[in-house]
Amino acid sequence: MKDVMGLIYTSENDIQLGELTSQRAVAALPIAGRYRVIDFQLSSMVHTGIKNVGVITQKNYQSLMDHIGSGREWDLHGKQGLNILPPFLTRENMGVYAGLVDALNSNRNFLRLSTQEYIVVTNSHTIYNADFSDAIEQHVASGADFTLLYSKKLTSTDVDSASYLTVGEDKTVTGMEISPIVPKTENAYLKVFITKRELLRQLVEQAFANGKHDWSRDVLQPAINDGSLKIMAYEYEGVAAQIDSIQAYFNFNMELQNDEFRRELFPADRPVYTKVRDDMPARYNGEGKCSNSLVGNGCIIEGTVINSVLFRGVKVAKGAVVKNSILMQDAQIQSGAELDHCILDKQSVIRRNGRLIAPAAYPIVIAKNVVI
Amino acid sequence: MMRKKQCVAMLLAGGQGSRLGILTKNVAKPAVPYGGKYRIIDFPLSNCTNSGIDVVGVLTQYRPLELNAYIGSGSPWDLDLSNGGVYVLPPYHSGKTGEWYKGTANAIYQNIPFIAQWDPEYVLVLSGDHIYKMDYNAMLQSHIQNGADLTIAVREVPWAEASRFGILNTDENNQITEFEEKPKNPKSNKASMGVYIFTWSKMRKYLEQDELNPNSENDFGKNIIPDMLADNQKLFTYTFDGYWKDVGTIESLWEANMDLLEMPMPIDLYDARWRIYARNPGMPPHCVAEGAKVVNSLITEGCEVKGVVNHSVLFAGVTVEQGAEIVDAVVMPGAVIERGAVVRRAIVGENAHICAGAVVGEETGLIAVIGPKAEIASGEKVAAGVQIDADAQ
Repeated sequence: MKDVMGLIYTSENDIQLGELTSQRAVAALPIAGRYRVIDFQLSSMVHTGIKNVGVITQKNYQSLMDHIGSGREWDLHGKQGLNILPPFLTRENMGVYAGLVDALNSNRNFLRLSTQEYIVVTNSHTIYNADFSDAIEQHVASGADFTLLYSKKLTSTDVDSASYLTVGEDKTVTGMEISPIVPKTENAYLKVFITKRELLRQLVEQAFANGKHDWSRDVLQPAINDGSLKIMAYEYEGVAAQIDSIQAYFNFNMELQNDEFRRELFPADRPVYTKVRDDMPARYNGEGKCSNSLVGNGCIIEGTVINSVLFRGVKVAKGAVVKNSILMQDAQIQSGAELDHCILDKQSVIRRNGRLIAPAAYPIVIAKNVVI
Repeated sequence: MMRKKQCVAMLLAGGQGSRLGILTKNVAKPAVPYGGKYRIIDFPLSNCTNSGIDVVGVLTQYRPLELNAYIGSGSPWDLDLSNGGVYVLPPYHSGKTGEWYKGTANAIYQNIPFIAQWDPEYVLVLSGDHIYKMDYNAMLQSHIQNGADLTIAVREVPWAEASRFGILNTDENNQITEFEEKPKNPKSNKASMGVYIFTWSKMRKYLEQDELNPNSENDFGKNIIPDMLADNQKLFTYTFDGYWKDVGTIESLWEANMDLLEMPMPIDLYDARWRIYARNPGMPPHCVAEGAKVVNSLITEGCEVKGVVNHSVLFAGVTVEQGAEIVDAVVMPGAVIERGAVVRRAIVGENAHICAGAVVGEETGLIAVIGPKAEIASGEKVAAGVQIDADAQ
């Protein structure tokens, strides 16, 4: 067993996702036809061989709890397994975290009581299907205090929420740009870092005592600048995407039509685990026309579906036309309805002959359970 | 220490299912894929869970590896419990004795200690050969109300076909008066489904008695039921009128898959109150490319469809390349149909590979079968009714 634990910080850094995250954490956002965003971080931890994973939750975590449950789908229902760390109120703990420092400080007991020497910390809105083993190996061999993972391929629309690393030839991080207008490098920080559990705990307690909140801005960046910690970089070469805006969410789902991208994100030997719904296979009735689309189990397609992503249990009736749209689970499109550039949240219904046509640059989001 | 259970299920999964030919050469029949994402055993297991029966012994014998791995801890069916769950029960040695399961009754006889540890009132006996959704609890209630020693589930078959089945003749209260195996002149059309509920004390007595008889074939139909009838025990039928399909032959397995393409489906697999659970392969949603055409078909997660799929069932992770055509076919997990290949009226086994331009099956005639992992070379033709075995290649 690897001497590594994992921690996922499900941040509230999701304002730009609008209606999609009004009732749920971004970690619980449905994506790619059957998954939730956190499935990617959790599965990556599992593929690394990590057996002890903490998930720091904040507001709106009911749907997240419902999704991950005991962690069985990820084989994280073992002795240590999955630890959901909800916010709690104490005299010094106000419950709402202003940043990772606060979140880690509130959960320092979890850090203290875990037994692994190393820890991998991730956020909950960057998507990849990784095995972190090589990065951990590099981290241990290099004797670094921190190893930060970056990618040259990260897709994101929102430069505001991205950070970039300047990396020397010896893989030392020599600079970190947070939300630059024009980044100096293409090395996008994946918000995944590796360190020693005890070092992390000490730095968090220290930072918290000094009134700091933001881990990157208040701890990592100053340490890179003054060289007080040895911070190294590891290039992650797989595909990665940051889900930081509605447009980024839309683009990521559409990119899955691309065979290469999809096959790289879902290799046969590294499945992305998720909660199973036990739907039957998708059913195409009659001459339903479907092209260039991703379709989940349990769908019933009788109408036309083009360039779209259909989650599990979606129904598209005869004569309905769905184009360039994302239909979350159990959405229903009745006959004669027409959709273009729409994102329908779960269980929403577009009644007979309804038309919702949006411009490509600004997909319409229809909230959960809405009937139009 | 096990806590008492009212009813324990015993699932006979040891048969080879030799009439499925190449499809069961390396796996037991209950592990044969069906309906795009299921295996046959998912039906009895899910029926148990949905009926509130949470101890299931699965008696295996023939090629059990894949079946054992599939059942695993039983978690897909919520049968991974601390008091109860699913147990795989192979034949075993005990001291000087020990032998293969000689017959259906002997298989249960050898597992009397397994059943006894739950101290049940009733034992449900199932087979892993059929596609059906059945509430065993309703049958159990009927057994209890009748004060029966044995209740046999039956379905009313067309009279013309009755002579192909084990037929039960009953009085007006559904009490069984006679059992006839494949009668020439049937007096009833109540055919046994091979689903039994025994009162445990009686079952134990008759199993032990049967074991002492050296001339017995140790079979429920041939020995136990006639013995109980001869002793005037109380045997009743319980009529089941839902969809029920024996998938014991290539043709019937193919037909059962095609049944799912009917509108409305003769067996409702969307029913949220009676889900059929299955182990999930964990693949992304399937992808239908530009230029592909899918008509009247079932497509499962992980498939990539670029060609034409018409009136067919595609299991998880099947690839259909551009220009390939699949009509009236069942394509099992992981199979690849290369560009320009044609598959008609056929069953393509798991991970089989049909190379470019090959033609499998014909528009009429018997079903062609490509065995698991078999490869059909480019341009090759496989005629109707032919079975291709990967090991013979």
